[in-house]
Amino acid sequence: MVESKQQWKAWLYLAPAIVLLLVFTVWPIINTVAMAFMEDYSGLANIGGEASFRFGIGNFTKVAQNAEFQQALTNTILLCLITVPVSTVLALLIAVALNAIKPLQKALQTIFFLPYVTNSIAIGMVFAAMFNVIGSVGTRRPLISSYGIVNDIIRFFGGNWVNWINSGSDYWANMFVLIVYIVWNALPFKILILLGGLTSINKQYYEAAKVDSTPRWRVLTKITVPLLSPMLAYVVITGFIGGFKEYTSIVGIFGESMGPVHDAHRLNTMVGLIYDSLASNNQGRASAAALILFGIILVVTLINLWVSKKRVHY
Amino acid sequence: MSQNTMQVMHARDMQKTSGRQKISKALSLAGVYLFLLIMAAIVLFPFYWMIISSLKSLAEYRLSPPTFWPTQVLISNYADAFTTASLGVLFKNTMIVGVVSTLLSLVITIFTAFAFARLEFKGKELLFAALLATMMIPGELFTITNFATVTNLGWRNTYTVLIVPFLVSVFYIYLLRQNFLQIPNELYLAAKVDGTSDMKYLWKVMVPLALPTLISITILKMMGAWNSYIWPRLVANDEAHRLITNGLRNAFTDTTGDVNYPVQMAAVALVSAPLFLVFVFLRKYIMSGVSRSGIKG
Amino acid sequence: MKKIVSMLLLLVMLLSVCSFASAEAAPAYDGSDVTITFYHTMGANLVSVLDAYIEEFNKLYPNIHVQYTAVGSYDDVRDQVSTEITVGTQPNIAYCYPDHVALYNLAKAVQTLDKYIDSDAEITRADGTTEILGLTAEQKADFIEGYYNEGLQFGDGKMYTMPLSKSTEVLYYNKTFFDANNIPVPTTWDELEQVCAKIVEIDPMSIPLGYDSEANWFITMTEQLQTPYTSATEPHFLFNTEENRAFVKQFREWYQEGYLTTQKLYGAYTSGLFTSTSDIKSYMSIGSSAGATYQRPAKGDDGNYPFEVGIATIPQANPDNRKVISQGPSLCIFKKANEQEVIASWLFVKFLTTNVDFQAEFSMASGYVPVIKSVTGNEVYADFLAKADGGDYVSALSAKVCLEQQDAYYTSPAFNGSSTARDEAAALLPACLTVPDGTDVDAEIEKLFQTAIDKCNYSL
Repeated sequence: MVESKQQWKAWLYLAPAIVLLLVFTVWPIINTVAMAFMEDYSGLANIGGEASFRFGIGNFTKVAQNAEFQQALTNTILLCLITVPVSTVLALLIAVALNAIKPLQKALQTIFFLPYVTNSIAIGMVFAAMFNVIGSVGTRRPLISSYGIVNDIIRFFGGNWVNWINSGSDYWANMFVLIVYIVWNALPFKILILLGGLTSINKQYYEAAKVDSTPRWRVLTKITVPLLSPMLAYVVITGFIGGFKEYTSIVGIFGESMGPVHDAHRLNTMVGLIYDSLASNNQGRASAAALILFGIILVVTLINLWVSKKRVHY
Repeated sequence: MSQNTMQVMHARDMQKTSGRQKISKALSLAGVYLFLLIMAAIVLFPFYWMIISSLKSLAEYRLSPPTFWPTQVLISNYADAFTTASLGVLFKNTMIVGVVSTLLSLVITIFTAFAFARLEFKGKELLFAALLATMMIPGELFTITNFATVTNLGWRNTYTVLIVPFLVSVFYIYLLRQNFLQIPNELYLAAKVDGTSDMKYLWKVMVPLALPTLISITILKMMGAWNSYIWPRLVANDEAHRLITNGLRNAFTDTTGDVNYPVQMAAVALVSAPLFLVFVFLRKYIMSGVSRSGIKG
Repeated sequence: MKKIVSMLLLLVMLLSVCSFASAEAAPAYDGSDVTITFYHTMGANLVSVLDAYIEEFNKLYPNIHVQYTAVGSYDDVRDQVSTEITVGTQPNIAYCYPDHVALYNLAKAVQTLDKYIDSDAEITRADGTTEILGLTAEQKADFIEGYYNEGLQFGDGKMYTMPLSKSTEVLYYNKTFFDANNIPVPTTWDELEQVCAKIVEIDPMSIPLGYDSEANWFITMTEQLQTPYTSATEPHFLFNTEENRAFVKQFREWYQEGYLTTQKLYGAYTSGLFTSTSDIKSYMSIGSSAGATYQRPAKGDDGNYPFEVGIATIPQANPDNRKVISQGPSLCIFKKANEQEVIASWLFVKFLTTNVDFQAEFSMASGYVPVIKSVTGNEVYADFLAKADGGDYVSALSAKVCLEQQDAYYTSPAFNGSSTARDEAAALLPACLTVPDGTDVDAEIEKLFQTAIDKCNYSL
C-alpha cells in the first residue's frame, strides 16, 4: 500500500518535468530519428513538395563514408579526453585553494566567477588574437608585424616563437590552443559547482586533519576528493557530454573553415559535420550524424556512470 | 571525540609546531596565492580585451598589430549601443522572462531532483538514464520541430514562448540530485518517523541544505535568459517581447549588416554589468556554506 | 454546319489561349488594405531613410502598410526566413543574397517576378497619377545591367530578385607613395607583378598588395579568365580545371615572393596593413567599395592624413573583358495565398529600387552604390560625387569609381550549394598559396582542388 502510494507520489513530483520534456525534447528527438532514416531529407524541399524521400540508411552511410568523418571523430575524442581531465583538476585545485585562503578571497572569487558574464563571441576573438601571428609566415621573405601576446611572453623569456594557428602550423600546436581555450571556457562553471560542493563539506573533517597535521595534498586526496565525489562525477560526466559536442570554440579560433589556412577543415568535429549538413538544409544527414554522435556519447556516459557508481561516495 | 579532548590535542599540537614547519606552511600558502593569481590573470585577460575593444574605433579595432590601449577612447560606442534600442522595454522583458523562468525552473528542478534522489518508484534508473540521454543530442536539431510546435500552439510573440520551452534542464536536475544524494538518508528517515510530510521535509530541510547549488542554478539560469539569442530572435522578435541581447544586437550591425565589433563589445559589456552586480551580491551566499546546520557526515 | 463547328472550335481555342494568357499576366493592385512584412539588416541610420520613404510610398498607396523588422545580420535573415518557411509564416519581402534565394527555392517559396515586371496593367495612385504595374522600358534600361542580372542567376532564366543597393571590390592605393615614386597604377595582373617588384625594391619591409577576400579573388579570376567556376545546373562544381590551377600557381609564386597577401594569410584585416603606421605595411589594398573609410589612414597629430588614398578598378586579366564582382543586398518577394499582398510587395520593391531620391539617399547613408544610373542626375548625389577626394570624401571617390565601371559587374550562379562553393574557394586559394617551396607544387595544388570539389559534392 505504502509502496504504491510512493509510486504515485513520485510521478506527481515528476509530472511537470515529464510533460515539458515530452513536448519540447522527446518529440523533437522522435522527429530527428525519423529524419535520419529519410534519405537526404530537407525540411525546405519537403515544403516544396516535389521531393519524396526514400526510407533507408543512406544518410548514415554517407556520413560515415565522408572523407572528413574519421578526422572529425579523432579530433572530437582527443579534445574530450584531454580537456575534461585537465579542466576538472584545475577547477578542483582553484576551488580548494580559494577555500583555503583568507586575504583576497572575496576579490579572487569574484574574478573567477567573472567569465560567466562575458559572452563567447568576445572570448573567442581574444583567444585568437593572443595566439595569432600577423605577417607573411613561411614565405621566402617572411615579414612579421606581430607575434601575438603568447609568443611575446615566450620570446621575453628567451624562447623561440611558435606558429600556433597560422599557415604552416603544426596539428598539435593547433590542438594546444584549442585545449587552452576550451579549458578556460570550462573552468568557471566547474569552479562554481565545486565551490558550492566544498561549502557543504563538514568543517570537522578538516579540523581533524589539522590536528593530525596531515599534509595538504593528503587532505586533498583523502578527504576533499572523496567528499566532493558526487560533484566531481557531475562535472566529469557533463563535461564529457559537452566535450563531444565541441564546435563553437573551434569556430572561435579558426573561423568557419575549422582549420588553419593551409589545411582547412583539419580541426572539424562531429558537431561541425552536423552544421555542414544543416547549412545546405540536409536535415536527414545532419540527424544521422547527430544519432551517430549520440551513440558515442551514450557509450562513454554509461562507462562514466559505471565508474562513478564504484567511486562516488554519497 | 569530545570537544574537550580536541582542544587539548590542538594545544599540544600548537606547541609542537616547529619553526621549519611554519616556514614550509608559509611557502605553501605563497604557492597557493601564486597559483591563484596567475590563474586569475589568465581569466581576467579576455575581460580587459573586451573592455579596451569596446572603447576603440572600428578602424583602430582593425589595426594590425592590435593596440593594447585605445589611442582614442570612444565612450560613444556605449552611447551607440544604447541609442538604437529602447532599453526600458528590453530590460523589462528580460527581467520578466529571467525571473519567471528562473523561479519556475527552480521549482521543477527541485521536485524532479527530489523524486530521483529520495523517492522510490519503478523504472527510476531507466528514466534517469533516459533523461541523461536527452542531453546527448545536439540541440540545434530541435529548433525546427520546436518552432513548428510553438507556432501551432499560437505562442509566437508571447512571453510564454520565451519561458516555457526551456524550463526543464536535465543539467540542473542532475546537479541538484547529486547534491540531494549527499544529504544523509538518516535525516529523511528520522523526519518520516516524526511524521513530517515529504513536501515539508523537502522545503524545510533539503532545500536549505542545497542552497549553494540552488544559487548556482539561479545564476546559470539567469545568465541563460540574459544571453539567450537564437531562440528568442526566432520566436519573439517583436518590439513588445524582444529581449536585451537581441535588442542590442541590432546596434552591432552597422549600416549594411557588417558587424561593428567595438559597438558589439560595448553592448556585451553593458549587458554584462547588471549580471556582474548580481554575482557580487550572491557570492556571499554561495560561500557562506551550510555547515552551520545539523548534518553529520 | 462544318463551318460553324470549325468556327466554334476556333473560338474555344481562342478563349483558352486568352484564359491561359490571363493566368500568366498579373492582375493589378485593387487598392485593398494589406499589411506587408519586410525583414532587413539595416542599422538605425538606414532605418530612418527607410521610414521617410515608406511615408512617401504611403502617399501613393495609403492602404499598403509596411511593417519591417531589423533581424540582425544577413545570415540571421537567412536562418529566420528558412525556418519560418517550414511553418508558412515567412515575411512578404526580405533582404537576400543569391544563395539565400537558392535555399528558399528548395521550398519553392520565392515569387518569380517576370509577370509583374512585364505587366502593363494600369494603376491609379492616391495622388491621382497613374503608373503601370510593371517596369517601363525606361526603368528597365536605367538599372545597371550587372546588378539587374543577378536576379536571373538561378538556372531557369526567371527573375527572382531585385537589386537594392550594391558594392564591389576596388583597388585602393597609397597615392602619395605612387606619385612620389612615379609608379603607374596597375590595370592588369601583369602590370601588378611589375609594380609589386618595384615597390619591394623601394621598401623591402612592405607586402605591396593585400587582398581582403580570398573567395572574391578566386571567383573574380575565373570570370576574368572566362574559366569554369560553378553552374546553376548539374554538374554544379566545375572549378577544378587546368587554367584555374595555373592562375593559382602564379599567385602562389607571388605570395612566396612576398608581393601580396590576403586577410587569412596575413592573419588580420588587410585594410589594417594598408593604413598601418608601423614598418610593415602595404601600398595597395583590394577590398569592398563600401568599406572605403577603413582604407583611409587615421589623421596624424597635425590634423592631416598621413597619405592620400587613390582608388581604381581592380587589375584585370584581359582589358577587353573587364570583370568586377557585384555584392550587396537584393530583395526577394515570397509567395502568399493573397495575391494582393504579393502585388503590394512588388509595388513597394519597385518603389525602393527605382526611386531616384531613395536610391541616392540610401547610397550616401550606407556607402553602397545605387543600382540605377539616373541617380547620378540627382542633385544631392551629384554634389556628393563632386566632392570625391582621397581624404575626407573617400566614400564619394569609391562610389565614383564604382559607377565608372558599371559595364564590368558579374554575379555567380546561385543554387543550393553555391555558398559551399564560395566557402571552399575561400579556403582553397590561400591553402594553395601556402604550398611550400621544395614540394611538388603542381601535385599539391591538384590535391587541394580535388579535396575542395569533394567537399562541395558532399554538401549536396
